Amino acid sequence: MDATSMETRERCLAEDLSRRKRVILRELKERSFWFVRLRWWVPPSIVAGVLVARLMGFEFAVVQLLLVAAFVLAYNIVFYMLSRAFKEEPLREERRFYRFAYEQVALDYAAMFLLIHFTGGAASPLIFFFIFHIIFASILLPPRSAYGFSALVVAGMGTVALAEYLGWIPHHPLLFQGRSTDLAQQPLHMVVALGFFAASVFISAFSTTAIMRMLRRRIRDLGALSESVSILNERLHALFSMIEAIGSAQYLEQVLPVVTGELGNVMEVKGISVKLLSGDGRFLRYAAAYGLPEEFTGEKEVEVDKSPLNRRIIEGEPYVTGQVTKKELFQFGEALAAAQIRSVLFVPLTVEDRVIGILGAYCVRPDRFSTEDVDFFRMAAGLVAIALESARAYEAIEQLIEERSWYMMRVTHNLRAPLAAMLSMIELVRGGYLGELNDEQREYLRRLDRRSRTMLSMVNELMTLVESRSEKGKIVRGPVDPVMIGNRIRRTFEDEAKEKRVDFKVVVPEDLPPIHGDAGMIEQMLENLVSNAIKYTPAEGYVCVNFGRATQTVCIEVSDTGIGIPQADRSKIFDDFFRAENARIVEGHGTGLGLAIVREIVDKHGGRILVESEESLGTIVVVHLPITRQEAVDSSQIITQGRANQSGNEKEKPKAGHLARMSNPFRRVGRKGMFRSPDEGAAAGFVWGLPQGAFG
Amino acid sequence: MNKKAEILVVDDDPDIQDSLRIILESNEYEVRTAANGREAMEELEIRLPDLMILDIMMATDTEGFDLAFKLREKPEFKNLPIVILTAFLNKVREEGPGKFEYILGEQWPAHWLLEKPVDSKKLLAKIEGILGES
Repeated sequence: MDATSMETRERCLAEDLSRRKRVILRELKERSFWFVRLRWWVPPSIVAGVLVARLMGFEFAVVQLLLVAAFVLAYNIVFYMLSRAFKEEPLREERRFYRFAYEQVALDYAAMFLLIHFTGGAASPLIFFFIFHIIFASILLPPRSAYGFSALVVAGMGTVALAEYLGWIPHHPLLFQGRSTDLAQQPLHMVVALGFFAASVFISAFSTTAIMRMLRRRIRDLGALSESVSILNERLHALFSMIEAIGSAQYLEQVLPVVTGELGNVMEVKGISVKLLSGDGRFLRYAAAYGLPEEFTGEKEVEVDKSPLNRRIIEGEPYVTGQVTKKELFQFGEALAAAQIRSVLFVPLTVEDRVIGILGAYCVRPDRFSTEDVDFFRMAAGLVAIALESARAYEAIEQLIEERSWYMMRVTHNLRAPLAAMLSMIELVRGGYLGELNDEQREYLRRLDRRSRTMLSMVNELMTLVESRSEKGKIVRGPVDPVMIGNRIRRTFEDEAKEKRVDFKVVVPEDLPPIHGDAGMIEQMLENLVSNAIKYTPAEGYVCVNFGRATQTVCIEVSDTGIGIPQADRSKIFDDFFRAENARIVEGHGTGLGLAIVREIVDKHGGRILVESEESLGTIVVVHLPITRQEAVDSSQIITQGRANQSGNEKEKPKAGHLARMSNPFRRVGRKGMFRSPDEGAAAGFVWGLPQGAFG
Repeated sequence: MNKKAEILVVDDDPDIQDSLRIILESNEYEVRTAANGREAMEELEIRLPDLMILDIMMATDTEGFDLAFKLREKPEFKNLPIVILTAFLNKVREEGPGKFEYILGEQWPAHWLLEKPVDSKKLLAKIEGILGES
């Protein structure tokens, strides 16, 4: 028997011990402990009483009384230690508790009789204290025992009275000023007194037991109420968790395990299954199975026509049975029999009157599912259906976005070759290879070159952006050395900055931790930022790149003394194709995509970007990127083939509404990262984001 | 620097062919052209050039790669210097680096990999560098 069925067994046992009994036992436990605590008062009270009585002039058997006090103290200490041990006991052992209660009551009676005997026996004023004992016994013990004890008390007192009268036991009278308050001399008085005593004893017993009975009933009801409230609460909570799971995850592989797991837990069943109907309505296929053995689900397909049970459910009727038969089991699969399922519950999954599948619950206990269970399960089925539909919707949307991306990529792809040819030919003419040029020709060819290069930039940047937002833009994370990035940026831009007479500095402290991300993307992002900085900073200005450390991130600050960003445009600079007016004046032909790419990369890394700027003074852009943590390094994600759940710290939770930038952590092959060496960059003569020709 | 060196330009784009031809010839190189892998092999068999400029993606995505591989397999072509041009640097990087290491020997990251549109000055400098070494 595997672990899960053991658990189920235990859970069932606990449930069998009826709730009511549990509540009563709990109460009993508490009361017995309370009496132990109460009893601590008795020895000191006896001692005090003795002292006071002596002071007032009564004479009686002091020593014996003190011994009784010591006796009470002694047995209460024992009870105290026993109660400590009992505190940890589970509520299963009811017999032990009852015995504990009886022991207490019995010893109390013994002590009481002793006290009475030593203060005058049948004539002792203390006999009325028996009332307390009766009351306590009625509280602690079942009614029959309470009456039993009452009878014992009366009989006991009667016996003591008789024994003393007949002289069988010594008489310890209570003497006051030499005169005895002894009623033993007048038997009739004794009998009457005892009669009233008996009456009060029984009346107390009766009243207390009646009250206790009422109390117990109330407590039982409250207990039942609180149990059902807590069950409801658990179920609500489970429904809520299911809703949360649905809301925060997009894909069936994420949602269904969570949802079926929650459901399985809250209903305390062995397994939950989700079967989906095929498009043509002829087959049912398992989409998820929690708690069920592998062979049970897998690739199994059930033909609806061959299974009347399934057909009925699809037609809308839930199916419940507490004693599932072999024949039924067969319809659900032989492996179910092996798992010893006895109760099953199936409800249809419907979306807008259309049945899309079946939700099932399986339990090893017979007759497990009540009407409330069926109702709750139907609610849960509603949620599961929503989850399924929304997952499908997401997939459809993603599909559309993919198609759009693919289309855009093909278009931009195809534009590059002709553009490359155009630029080569322009260069040919400009280089004088086809003859000398006059000034006008030179000028117009220069403009032609500029515009064409702008076009090429646009095409390149669009490709980058579209690719980044689609399947292929998968980020490959690993530790990235800030020093290396800093050096490459410096090498890439130092010549250009020098040509423009802009003071360019890159500062990387030695002890920075590695950044957790994609080296190629980070470099690309910085290139775009630095290129902008240099582009929009007039000669004699400065551009500075500072790497630093914040609490959980590495921060990279790119600051310049350039034209700045106007207040009104601040919120739009990261938008696709946006160009600020003052930027347009300096550089007429920008693509407006550089910062969109930067934002895309920062988002992918889970970082932050902050911009501060003042027109005509300058701009500071600060990017925060997460650092590599040791655990993150090990589960450092690489490309996954097929759809697999991503474990570890990096669970990207795309939010609904950000459909345009849905980065998909769960699909196929991604880009293997951009490899760029500085020489290569130089040789290619091409820098992303920078329209060529601007400086030469 | 052997100014009479012969360069084979392999590119399916006639405009690129023409542009390169004009640039190279005015720098006193002899230029032959081929528009696809088959023509390139024919030219190579007629006479081995001193250097080949190869567009890695021509009619089909892999034509340039295939040609380069084939050349490296044959002993007589193994040491032919190849300068690779491409308009699609990303795609090329995706296919490499394994392929490039094989094609270019130990030259990856390729000094001999250029992206279109190519700066003629840089191209000439590269060619001179390569031919100067051999």
